[in-house]
Amino acid sequence: MAAPNEDNLSSHSQLSSQFFGELLDSIIVDVASECHRIARLGLDRSLDDEEEELRLSAQARARVADPSSSGETTSKYVLDIFGQTHPPVANEIFECMNCGRSIMAGRFAPHLEKCMGKGRKARLKATRSSTAAQNRYSRGNPLSNHSPSSNSNSMSRLSNGTSHVAGYEYSNGTIEEP
Amino acid sequence: MRSSVKRPPTPDAEEEEQDREPTLQEIINIKLIESGEKERLKELLRERLVECGWKDEMKALCRAFARKRGRNNVTVDDLVHVITPKGRGSIHS
Repeated sequence: MAAPNEDNLSSHSQLSSQFFGELLDSIIVDVASECHRIARLGLDRSLDDEEEELRLSAQARARVADPSSSGETTSKYVLDIFGQTHPPVANEIFECMNCGRSIMAGRFAPHLEKCMGKGRKARLKATRSSTAAQNRYSRGNPLSNHSPSSNSNSMSRLSNGTSHVAGYEYSNGTIEEP
Repeated sequence: MRSSVKRPPTPDAEEEEQDREPTLQEIINIKLIESGEKERLKELLRERLVECGWKDEMKALCRAFARKRGRNNVTVDDLVHVITPKGRGSIHS
């Protein structure tokens, strides 16, 4: 009975591989059916998303290449990516921490300039209170245009040579800090 | 309606054509089904295929195919034919 045993062995493995193939086919059909369902029902977001992305990027490219509408000057009425419009000047109102007035946000920088020191009036404002401090530190005459006394190293001689007090006193506005 | 599934004739008809007596294979098959073993083997195989990533590969193939063909132009049969060569091949390595 040796021969039939060998035959049995090979036919066994044959049978089992055949059987395995059958099982596999069945599972393949199941997977295919599942994927078919997903595709048909549009459940696979990436399928649609990719097409959307391609389309949107093509649109965006067309818009960028189009020179007629630029975003710089007409940003008043053009939507940003969230669909919001912004006015050209920021219009939120709050209080200036230096002088206490209520200022519009878009006008805050110029206001600060005037308020804290770049302008002429501000320098007057600053020096009026800083002369008092200066008199405390140095007995020298702060009104002349001498080279600065050694009290403060933040003071540097301004080169415009004005005899105005502010020209001497005020270097970077940090003499007196609120 | 499209006939999207072309199925071979059911085993009964085939059996009567070929053999009066069931072959060994068929006997084994029947025995397996009857005892419920076939179902268990199938589940086991399914599990293994998922574990080793085979199922994900097949799904990726299907997705790529569906993207190419257009989502609504795909049939189950198409997908079966897409998967079968690679599916069978990658197992018996």
